[in-house]
Amino acid sequence: MPAPLLFSLGAAAALALFGSAVWASTKVKGDRAFGEYLSSECVTCHQISGRVVGGVPAIVGIEAESFVALMESYKNKVRENQVMQTIASKFNDEEIAALAVYFESVKPKR
Amino acid sequence: MANRRQFLAGGGAAFASLGLVAPAIAQGAKPRVVVIGGGAGGATAARYIAKDSEGKIAVTLVEENANYQTCFHSNLFLGGFRDYASIQHSYGNLPRQGVNVIRARATVIDRDKKEVVLSNGQRLPYDRCVVSPGIDLRYDSVPGWSKAAEDAMPHAWKPGAQTRLLKRRLDAVPDGGNIIMIAPPNPFRCPPGPYERVSMMAHALKRTGRTRSKIFVIDPKESFSKQGLFQEGWEKHYAGLVEWLGPKIHDGIKSVDPKTNTVVTGFETYRNAALVNVIPAQWAGAIARDSKLANDAGYCPIKPESMQSTMDPNIYVLGDSAIAGDMPKSAFSANSQAKVAANAIRGELTGSRVFPARYTNTCWSLIETDDTVKVGGTFEPKDGKIASVTPFISKTGEPADLRKQTQAENMGWYAGIIADMFG
Repeated sequence: MPAPLLFSLGAAAALALFGSAVWASTKVKGDRAFGEYLSSECVTCHQISGRVVGGVPAIVGIEAESFVALMESYKNKVRENQVMQTIASKFNDEEIAALAVYFESVKPKR
Repeated sequence: MANRRQFLAGGGAAFASLGLVAPAIAQGAKPRVVVIGGGAGGATAARYIAKDSEGKIAVTLVEENANYQTCFHSNLFLGGFRDYASIQHSYGNLPRQGVNVIRARATVIDRDKKEVVLSNGQRLPYDRCVVSPGIDLRYDSVPGWSKAAEDAMPHAWKPGAQTRLLKRRLDAVPDGGNIIMIAPPNPFRCPPGPYERVSMMAHALKRTGRTRSKIFVIDPKESFSKQGLFQEGWEKHYAGLVEWLGPKIHDGIKSVDPKTNTVVTGFETYRNAALVNVIPAQWAGAIARDSKLANDAGYCPIKPESMQSTMDPNIYVLGDSAIAGDMPKSAFSANSQAKVAANAIRGELTGSRVFPARYTNTCWSLIETDDTVKVGGTFEPKDGKIASVTPFISKTGEPADLRKQTQAENMGWYAGIIADMFG
């Protein structure tokens, strides 16, 4: 059964094995390469290194499921922040999943 | 037996017919991208093309300055919220990320030969050229003002010595001395910039007890970015210090005299001002206009799907020089446009995946300590231009803790975009 093996490998190793086509997180499936492109909208403020300055939190290395939940909470205006509500409202489920698996795969370099 | 050239040509043709490899690679040469201008558009584009192509594209960045001084947050330097060193950044990280940085001025693009000509005579051949020179000032747009007058009446709308000069002049304004700002006509770099600057000037005057002074803003426009938010802030923090005058109130800017620091409008003559800050009309940087990439208005039309010039398919124009529809001329916009262009250029040259254009912008403005407002949104290509999709703006009367949080966001964004531009 391949699934447990995949999960045990960790993000970097699994990526090396399976490339960047579709990335299977524990529960979220998304197009990592598309996520990487979309992430360019995020990293103008959220540093790809995971470094935190001022009021902009780190988003790299977040579990994909948590990332999806966070984006949904901005999309549904449960969490407040005009910038994030605006950005989240524009992403569809496929795009949020792509972003989630991409950011989960990035290791913070703090 | 096929020789090497035939083999490469044949192999290339086979790959190209499958749509896998773009022509430049098929010919066996590494495709070349030359980026003109190392600002928020150019540095970002150079870095992303080099990073994402993983060495498959030779990227050269041409920049005449040794360091990058940000126009964004230069108002915070003026108000004493940042020191000058903190808005100066090195290009030193880019070579390590695969970008060849050449310190020179690009004088013209030879579009027929696909070469960028440098001030030192060097010619850089390219497969794709990214043009991101920012704005040039129109020195003839305010009667009586000129390049020769820019020290007497500083503009500080291009960063560097002018930024520091304006701060020295602001700090030297005596209590009771008046400041006159001549605001620019649309379109111009950083739409909220002049009004954040007014706020920072007022902050400096108030903090040092120069409350008999006054700032007059002579504006050729009927309205300006975040007007309600700025005017609320000026009333709240700087009552009596700031007076904004639209064209119906001043009846036009007739002339300035740098020798006597006089500003003449249709209705009023302001004499012996302690400081006159002239922010003139603007147009695309000379290289873009001289290379015939601009229209009659002096800015460069682009295709909204990719930032590709409508004048030349091998050229992409980014940032302040481009006509980017609903996107304002801001560093954030230029950075966002750079990533769309980088994705498109890489796709053309290496056959990598190309995704639909998505653009974002936010502009934060500091009005007074911990009182920051923002305007922004997302943008997409629509009906031949880059159109606003989901705009937002801060509200008047927001609680202090939200404004403080917005300032923290502003500082985080600054650090973020610098890291994104230079790595």
